[in-house]
Amino acid sequence: MNHQKKQLLHRLKPYLFMAPALLLAYVFSYRPFLRTIANSFSVVNYSGQIIDFVGLENFRNLFADQNFLTSLFNTFRFAGYFVPLNLLFCLICALLVYKKRRFAAFNETLFMLPMAVAMSSAALVFRALFNPSIGVVNYLLHLNIQWFNDPRWAMGMLVVLGIWMAIGLDFLLLVGALRSIPQSIMEAAEIEGAGPLTLLLRVQLPLISPTLLFIVTTRLRDSMLLSGPVMVMTEGGPLRSTQTLVYHMYLEGFAGGNYSKGSAISVVVFLLTFFLILLAFRAERKGVFYQ
Amino acid sequence: MMTTRRMQHMINAIVATVLGLIVIFPIYWAFIASFFSSAEFSSWPPRLFPSSFSFTHYVRALTQSPLLKFMFNSLLVSGLGTIVRMIIAISAAFSVAFFSFRGKRILFFLLLGTMMLPPDALFIENYLTVSRLGLVDSYLGIMSVYLLGPVQVFMLRQSFKSIPKTYHEIATMDGCGDFRFLFSVVLPLSRSVVLTLSLHSFFTIWNTYLWPLLVTNDPNMRTAQVGITMLGYADSLDYGPVFAAISLMVLPSVPIFVLMRNRIAEGIKAGMAVG
Repeated sequence: MNHQKKQLLHRLKPYLFMAPALLLAYVFSYRPFLRTIANSFSVVNYSGQIIDFVGLENFRNLFADQNFLTSLFNTFRFAGYFVPLNLLFCLICALLVYKKRRFAAFNETLFMLPMAVAMSSAALVFRALFNPSIGVVNYLLHLNIQWFNDPRWAMGMLVVLGIWMAIGLDFLLLVGALRSIPQSIMEAAEIEGAGPLTLLLRVQLPLISPTLLFIVTTRLRDSMLLSGPVMVMTEGGPLRSTQTLVYHMYLEGFAGGNYSKGSAISVVVFLLTFFLILLAFRAERKGVFYQ
Repeated sequence: MMTTRRMQHMINAIVATVLGLIVIFPIYWAFIASFFSSAEFSSWPPRLFPSSFSFTHYVRALTQSPLLKFMFNSLLVSGLGTIVRMIIAISAAFSVAFFSFRGKRILFFLLLGTMMLPPDALFIENYLTVSRLGLVDSYLGIMSVYLLGPVQVFMLRQSFKSIPKTYHEIATMDGCGDFRFLFSVVLPLSRSVVLTLSLHSFFTIWNTYLWPLLVTNDPNMRTAQVGITMLGYADSLDYGPVFAAISLMVLPSVPIFVLMRNRIAEGIKAGMAVG
């Protein structure tokens, strides 16, 4: 009897070790995920209970809603500026620093320091720097832009903040990748007469393409989920010009208590991120070089 | 006579330094702004250095606002959250790495699959769950959605797998229990990974904004990230205490990031790699 008990415990043991993690995965990931999908096809009351199944109605309403389309468009607009500009800037910084020389470590430290600042602190600082009447940005660049009142420029602020928060890590990843290219390959190319530009386009960029792809994909995904900087800096304004998908979801689903609509937006966000990940996998199989 | 290569290096160093100084300017400015008087905040042209170094704003931030409480909340949530997260992840990774059992692959993939479901897109349902459990305005409520770290599980399992399974078999035959094996063999051998992942975890939880904002109504339960945006000087130009608070939070983490930059980059890369 005792032996049987022991045997049973022995067989259950690996499951017991996994149980807390599985329980959390169920409660805070899979269950809310499935419920969000169910909500998006239903009418949901104020306490979160499903009242009626309505099929695609929520999505039909969503895509007929100019407000939502604005959020969708703004999210893409942010990604369209942020992802390429961020990659370009970080790549320039990395190319300036990756060769071992005097002050390289000092330069490296400067570029990675923004990592030490949390999002909401950074957003508060940038809010003051961009202040149109007393801020440093307009003063130093001799601009007269109403950053917070001009729908054409408010997104620019978020892009600058986004790049600033991303530099630290993306720069470190790119420097690491550039340094891992074997010296012999670079020297061989130089002996063949390749100039710096040829070297960059034909040797370095192809060899660091896994890192480039990684940065582009993760930053695209971050863009789809952008909400914090919007909440701290612009609250979606002016005239909804910086209202993003997740911020919109917060307004509808949380502040407004409209769970069906919030869930439908959430499903759109999920589809976008899944699609991006699939795209990345495909790109990885096709055109990315591994050493 | 300088060679072109050395010339090139010098130009690189100069350009990189100029760009670097632009990059750290916001940090510099936040720091000096914490010493500005209210007149200096609204002066035109804007000041680029303070006229005096008085600590009035620091004193006000620490005594007239719940800043210390915010920071305590953040430390507690990040610290305790990291510990619990690591215990749960170590336990799961241990099971996957050292036991063979039915359904192992599926269960493991279910854990990793949560990486595809970012909490920032699930907050409506998670809020309902937390509020049904009565955990709004509680530390457990703030921590709840971060307690499972799929990245941690994955990385720990990779690390544990490098330890030969026979060690475990021999240890079991010699009557060494699983917990003793875990604490005296597995963890000491994986110390570096555990440290990297803990650090990454601490900063991830420390930096979160949206979720702690949603699950706290009581000002005394706010985390530092949420609290500083509500220090409540919005209408006046009295930013001083806000920048004092920001400086107090940023300055201690600067040396940590400088000293541990590679470790942190590794941890974050691992964190993003699989997501």
